This record gives sequence, structure tokens and C-alpha cells, in this order.
Amino acid sequence: MIETVFFTGSSNWMLNIVFIIIKIAVVIGVTMLHVMYATYFERKVIGHMQVRLGPMRVGPHGVLQPLADMLKLFFKEDIIPANADKPVFKIAPIIPVFATLSSLAVIPFFEGFVIANINIGLLYIFAMSSLSAYGVVMAGWASNSKYSFLGGLRSSAQVISYEVAMGLSLVGVMILSGSLNLSEIVNAQQGYWYGMFLIPQFVAYFVFLVAMFAETNRTPFDLPEAESELVAGYFVEYSGMRFALYYAAEYIGMIIMSSIAVICFWGGWTLPPMLTDAIPALKAVPGIVWFLGKVYFHIFLYYWVRATVPRYRYDKLMALGWKVLIPLALANIVVTSIVKYVI
Amino acid sequence: MTIKDIAKKVFLIEIFKGMALTLRMMFTHAVTRQYPEERREPFPGFRGLHALVRNPDGKARCVGCGLCAAICPSQCINIYTSESKDHKKVVDRYEIEVLRCVYCAFCVEACPFGAVVLTPHFEYSDYSRDALYMDKEKLLSNWDKFMTGKRAEEYFERFWRPKLEDFTTPENQPVFRGKEG
Repeated sequence: MIETVFFTGSSNWMLNIVFIIIKIAVVIGVTMLHVMYATYFERKVIGHMQVRLGPMRVGPHGVLQPLADMLKLFFKEDIIPANADKPVFKIAPIIPVFATLSSLAVIPFFEGFVIANINIGLLYIFAMSSLSAYGVVMAGWASNSKYSFLGGLRSSAQVISYEVAMGLSLVGVMILSGSLNLSEIVNAQQGYWYGMFLIPQFVAYFVFLVAMFAETNRTPFDLPEAESELVAGYFVEYSGMRFALYYAAEYIGMIIMSSIAVICFWGGWTLPPMLTDAIPALKAVPGIVWFLGKVYFHIFLYYWVRATVPRYRYDKLMALGWKVLIPLALANIVVTSIVKYVI
Repeated sequence: MTIKDIAKKVFLIEIFKGMALTLRMMFTHAVTRQYPEERREPFPGFRGLHALVRNPDGKARCVGCGLCAAICPSQCINIYTSESKDHKKVVDRYEIEVLRCVYCAFCVEACPFGAVVLTPHFEYSDYSRDALYMDKEKLLSNWDKFMTGKRAEEYFERFWRPKLEDFTTPENQPVFRGKEG
């Protein structure tokens, strides 16, 4: 009984609030753990791809490295430049963390587990991910440093060119599922024997992947924080916990974007019906396993691409966004609509 | 552009090739050597901490000619000599400021008696400057510590052969060697 109340809510609003708070605590706690170990695995994976070892000193094979990093960042001096715009400087790092963490609210991790099952989930995610770019732009402005300013400028330009492509790439998914509710998108994919929109929407998936890298400022599109050109980009002047907030926001953003890719293209917590019909034992595995497995693959993809592809040149990046991705996404929408209408 | 080139560009063939390479590399052994645990002997001829050669009779081999100090590019060798009662040159002080040394080993090459060497020892970092200002006693004890045994003798013989012993052109050098006989 308590389980159904936990997942679907009850008539007692007090109980509902308590359950929602518990859910929020669980989701934030688990996500933060994932963020910590995402940094560790990033260093390990890239290390091994470059034929070196990565962190090895703190704990066996360096597994306690994220804890040590956290402690270090926590006790570091918090420096605010004398010429910085202080209120904006202080608010800026909170915005991306706030935006990315609140995106977690609408993500269905497995059957029935959503903090807020709203009908415009996808739209809400877009809104929140564009909001997090404001943190970057504000940091670039408030630091009063040329490098941060260039980073902020680049970030805003990047957001303009990639948000569009990203939104358009998911329109195909919306057409096929007929909903913006993330749980319903997953359920809609169960209606097909292949169980994933990845197969009919492979063009959209490609566009989404590229836009996903740009959206989270990861290589090859990490222009706002291009180390070799802008020192560290928009967060040059940040130190200690404020820097850690940006770092956390970046990794939470990666997890959110991977989750969206999984939900919209990989069937979320479900497996293709074809597969579950063939091996009924797979139905007994909890959905969170598949969900996390698919998310981990996408996060690995982030690391993999980072270890392989060099940074794009700035004008090439804009050209790719406007001249390739947006036309591709638009063509995909047209074709999907025609096919959907005909069938 | 041929169709092949266009296909290459559209399907990101080069990027996938690169991705395959990095993935393959992920499963190869890392080349990292974890230094304090995994040590490696320096290669023969490695130029580490300085030492003054001690003759079998226990005295320093150095005669105080000052050639090493003269050739030293960073001028970190200080030599003070005096005349003894039986009119022989005595080396009072022989000091090397290790922190300024650039490890070119010109001093070793310049020395006509092979009296100064660079040992393979390289782990001598310290917190004070005094500890790295080597006087004659310290340099001689470096010889005792790091250049003992057969291996060290071979090392000395092979790499820091004093020019005094053979001033000829190496046998394998194709040069005019005068008329035979």
C-alpha cells in the first residue's frame, strides 16, 4: 500500500509532501554521488585512452580521489576580484546548479518514479538548460576579466545556435509519441516492436548528440572554457566552492542530457518488446538498471569523444550549427510528419 | 570532390576511426611507471649528483688545476689552493654549488685526471640550501656512497674516461692517420 502511495500519491496532502521531499532527497543525493564519481571515471577513462593510469594515489586505484577533491575545494580560499560586480558574481554560479538540479524533477528514472510528472516535461527541460547558460554569461560579465568575458560571449553565441537545433531534433520524437510528457514518450516507444525511437529517428539522434555536446560545453564544443585559448573561460576568476558549483553543474548537465537522450531515443527504462518477448527473464530486472546502463553509456560517450576529437574552431562551430544541424533537423521533421500522416 | 570523399564527410568516417583507436588504446597497458614504488636504474651515463674521485690511498685525486672551474658554464665550482711547505700545490677547498649546476658534465670532460664525476644518484632534494652546497668532504663521501663496487668502476671507465689516458682519434673515426710505417 505504502508503495503505491509513494509512486502515485494519495489524497492526504501531508503524506504527499513528505514523500516528495524524500524523493527529492534521494534523487539529489544519488545525482551528487554520480557527479563525484563521474569526475573520477572521466579522469580514469581519458587516462587509459591516453595510455596512462589516471588517479592512483588516494585509496586503491584512486577511488577516494573525488572525496579528496571535494575536501580541497571546500577549504580553498574564496577569492572575489576587486573589480568584479559582486552581487552578480555571487549569484552566477548558483544559477546553473539550480537550473540543472531542477531539471531532475521531471525525469522518469523508472516506471512511476518521477518527482513531478508534468505534461510539458521536455519543454521544461529545454527552459532549464537554456537558463543555465545565463550563469555562464553572468559569470563572464561579472568577473570583469577579458578571458571570462570572451568565454561568456562564446557561450551565448553557442546557446543561440545549438538550442534551436536541439529543440528541432526532438520535434520528431514529439510527433511520433504525441506528447511532451517524458513518461509518455517512453511508453509510446513500447508500442513499436523495436522499442526505441533511435531507429526511425537516427538523424534526429545524431543532431541531438551533437547539440548535447554543445549544450553542456564539452569537447569538441568546449569553446566557452577553451583552456588553451581562454585559460579557463568564463570561470577563470572563480575559486573554491563557487568553482566547484560550476563543475558540479556541468556534470549534472551531462547526466540530464544523457537522460534525455535515453528517454527520447533509447526507450528510457524499458527494453525493446522484441527482446523481452524473446527472453521473458529480462522483465524481472528492475527498469532503473537499464536506465542507468544507457545513461552510463552516454556519459562514457562524452569521455570517449573528449579523448578523441580536438576542439572545433569557433566559426566552424557556428557554421555547423546553422548550416548543417538545423537543416538536418528541419528535414527530419518534414519526413517524420509525412510518414506519420501516411501511416 | 568525389562521391567517396562526400561519403567520408557525411558518415564521419575519420572521427569513427579515431574513436576506434582511442577505444582500442583504453584496453592496452598503461605506460605509466609509479615512481616511488616502481623504481628504475638510471641509464648508463646518467648525469646525477657530483662526486670527487678518491684514490685507493684515500686521498682526493684532484690536483687543483682549476680547469673544471674554468669551463663550468654556470660557474658553480669554487677551488682554493695554496702552496705546502715542500712546494706542492694543495687543494684547500673544492666546492660545488649543486643548485646552480646545469649537469652538462663539461667539468668531467675537462678534468685531465678524471678527478670529478657525475654519479647516477639523482634523489637528493633537500629543504635547505646548505645541504646542497657540496664541500670537499661531502663530494668525497658522495664517491664513497654512490660510486662503489665494480659496476661503478665500469661506469667510470666507460663514460668518464679521463682524456689523459688516450688522446688519440678513435679507431673507428675515418681520418688521415699519417703514412703507415
